[in-house]
Amino acid sequence: MKSISLYADNGSWLVKLHPFSKMFYLVAAILIPLIAGRIFMFAITVFASICMLGSARMLKKALPLIAFSFTIILTVFIIQGIFYKDNDSLLLSLGPVSFYREGLLYSSHIGLNILNMLLSFSILVLSTSPSELVEELEKKGFSPKLGYIINSVFQIVPEMMGTMHTISDAQRSRGMETEGRLMTRIKAFLPLISPVVMSALTSTRERAIALEVRGFGSKMQKTYLYSHPYSTADQIMKWVSILCLFLVITLRVTGIL
Amino acid sequence: MSLIEINNLKYRYPGTTELALDDISLNIEKGQFIGIAGENGAGKSTLSQALLGLIPQFYKGAYGGSVVVDGLTAKTAPVAELCSKAGLVFQNPFNQLSGAKDTVYDEVGFGLQNLGIEPSEIHSRVEDVLKRFGIWEFRDRNPFDLSGGQLQRVAIASVLAMNPDILILDEPTSQLDPAGSEEVFHTVDELAETGITIIMIEQKMEKLAEYCDKIMLMHHGKLIDFDTPEKIFSREDLMEYGVVPPVYTEFARKNDLRLPDGNYPVTIKKLLDLIKTGNFDCKKLMTSLGKITGPEFCDLEEGTGEKQNLIEGAVSEAAVSPESSDRTFIVEDLHFSYIEGREIFKGINLSLDRRPTVIIGQNGAGKTTLVRILKGLLKPDSGRLSFEDQDIASKTVAELAGKVGYVFQNPDDQIFKYNVLDEVMFGPLNIGMTREEAETRAHEALKTVGLDEVSRKNPYDLELSDRKMVAIASVLAMDTDVIILDEPTIAQDYKGREKIREIIRDLSSRGKLVIAILHDMDFVSKSFERVIAMAHGEILADGTPDEIFRNHQVLEKAALTPPHLVALMEELDMGK
Repeated sequence: MKSISLYADNGSWLVKLHPFSKMFYLVAAILIPLIAGRIFMFAITVFASICMLGSARMLKKALPLIAFSFTIILTVFIIQGIFYKDNDSLLLSLGPVSFYREGLLYSSHIGLNILNMLLSFSILVLSTSPSELVEELEKKGFSPKLGYIINSVFQIVPEMMGTMHTISDAQRSRGMETEGRLMTRIKAFLPLISPVVMSALTSTRERAIALEVRGFGSKMQKTYLYSHPYSTADQIMKWVSILCLFLVITLRVTGIL
Repeated sequence: MSLIEINNLKYRYPGTTELALDDISLNIEKGQFIGIAGENGAGKSTLSQALLGLIPQFYKGAYGGSVVVDGLTAKTAPVAELCSKAGLVFQNPFNQLSGAKDTVYDEVGFGLQNLGIEPSEIHSRVEDVLKRFGIWEFRDRNPFDLSGGQLQRVAIASVLAMNPDILILDEPTSQLDPAGSEEVFHTVDELAETGITIIMIEQKMEKLAEYCDKIMLMHHGKLIDFDTPEKIFSREDLMEYGVVPPVYTEFARKNDLRLPDGNYPVTIKKLLDLIKTGNFDCKKLMTSLGKITGPEFCDLEEGTGEKQNLIEGAVSEAAVSPESSDRTFIVEDLHFSYIEGREIFKGINLSLDRRPTVIIGQNGAGKTTLVRILKGLLKPDSGRLSFEDQDIASKTVAELAGKVGYVFQNPDDQIFKYNVLDEVMFGPLNIGMTREEAETRAHEALKTVGLDEVSRKNPYDLELSDRKMVAIASVLAMDTDVIILDEPTIAQDYKGREKIREIIRDLSSRGKLVIAILHDMDFVSKSFERVIAMAHGEILADGTPDEIFRNHQVLEKAALTPPHLVALMEELDMGK
């Protein structure tokens, strides 16, 4: 089954970290430059994230995300560079189009912020199994029902995509043309929707029964199959993230930054 | 006090007028192996759900009487509490999955986590059941990636891990190959010996007869009888309830072979013991058996004398070209892989004529892949594939639709119209028939499957067995030269199976090629002239049912068991 999760266990140190350590880093890496309000702080967190991804052999997997963000960043640069409301100092002119220093500086802020968030999230998403993250959250009091919904999305959505493929085969078998003009494709789509929805509804009811008979509604305190104790690396990651965040807040409050 | 006490249980589903369970009373003792037999709609699954409290707690509806399971009243006790006493295994293992766990190991542990069992205990129980069911090697696989048979084992294992005192199984082997099915029965029987009470709904009467202490015979929601297999299957009126006795019982009845208590034997062992102790004439009995099995299996002297090596002869036999007018599919040196570098077929050769042909083999042998290639749904990596001397490897599925019809295993994968007639007309209209012609064909097809009177009904309101018939009718109405049936007998009771047999016979008599994939060997032996046995992407043997079912080497390799009558014939032959 083709998974919709981006996670892959490559055995790296980042995968071995506790999901919460990575969440501490995620929060710190996003908040620190925002609180500091300086471009160089964005550069630091972006650099830190890239180093972490690189050392965990995950940079290649993060590249499509970065490439995607560049198209947005480029658009922001063009629009803000030309039209930013405080544009004053002309930086360069390309024919009739003029780019201003203020607009480009402002778009650098936005662009680096997007890049920073994407890279920090990449660290969590690429190196953490969704089910492990949910299980750890449940241990801390997160609702098992919500946890189930999150987990089932990763399992049932790909399965539904598979069902859609089978249904498409079944209709093609009965002579339905699925290739060709746009109208043909639109027409071909209709006979797929009903079986997909009906089978989803039927299996939802059956799955609800399946959950009942597996004790999902039990009032007992749920137990967990795996424990993930905090390692030294986890402690370092957690406390460095917290301390850096407090340091930046303090510097900002005291006006040093 | 009995483990399960059912008193005057009545139940009606919401929005219906007929009782699904009608005044059922019985007691089940601890450690018994109970079978439930009856035709579709008899109320078997409804009863199993009532034992767990799902009826009425989950389904609502009108409920009367009482069900007490080990001291818990099923109507009011929380289902989560009842499920620690009784486990339920569904017919469709896919729907039994939690949908929240990404490995088989975690899936089996899911129920135990919910019950608050200590992790060390969970690990030990999960390991134990996975090993017991031979699925330990799949522990790290995603359950959604497993085949139907493997998934059913996971489903049973995940319920058993919860250590229930009662295990309820709703046709658990309908999707398994014969060897897998035997394995499940054997395991369940072992469980019964450890003191677990087993309640099993099943259409395979030979199996119920072999393993059950008692059988509940149900019909239209009523409990007709609750007695030993011998007494139930010796009833003269059994067929009126849509239940056919085991073939051994039928054979005994035809030859008036009775046990001392006046009943007929229900298992092969008891039948042979009776024949041995009664000094019956085996030769005479063999002649009688030949009359039941038909000419195909009659010629025993010849059959037992030659143990042909069909494995060696398979490809060459397949390669013998039939008369060109009869020639349909020709497959030469066919290679296919789903994932590059991992070939499923490494050069298959096959030539099909117009004889009704069945493909048999264990779960995952490549049967469905092969028919999907014939249908054009999958494109081979290399090799030649032709139909009636025309190369079809490059044709689209829609282009082939008028020539090759394919009925999918799950009817719900194709049904989308809001009345049966429109659904059946969809295919004929797609391949260019006029509306009038399509309607005429659709009515004819619906008459063939016995559903013309429900042509205006919404197909989703029909039972699964009838929806399967709608799916068959929707392909029959296209009047194709070839009809491929993928597991047509799943969810069908005796009457449904007989109907499908008639359809196959009728299509063949009209010169159509019927290709089916089946796990029901008794059905295979009675309905097909040619059998292709597959295992691990290879054609092991290709011949008549007689040739295949007498070749033990092939049967073993393909994880198959011979039809019950062939097994009986061989036993009698040895005793001659």
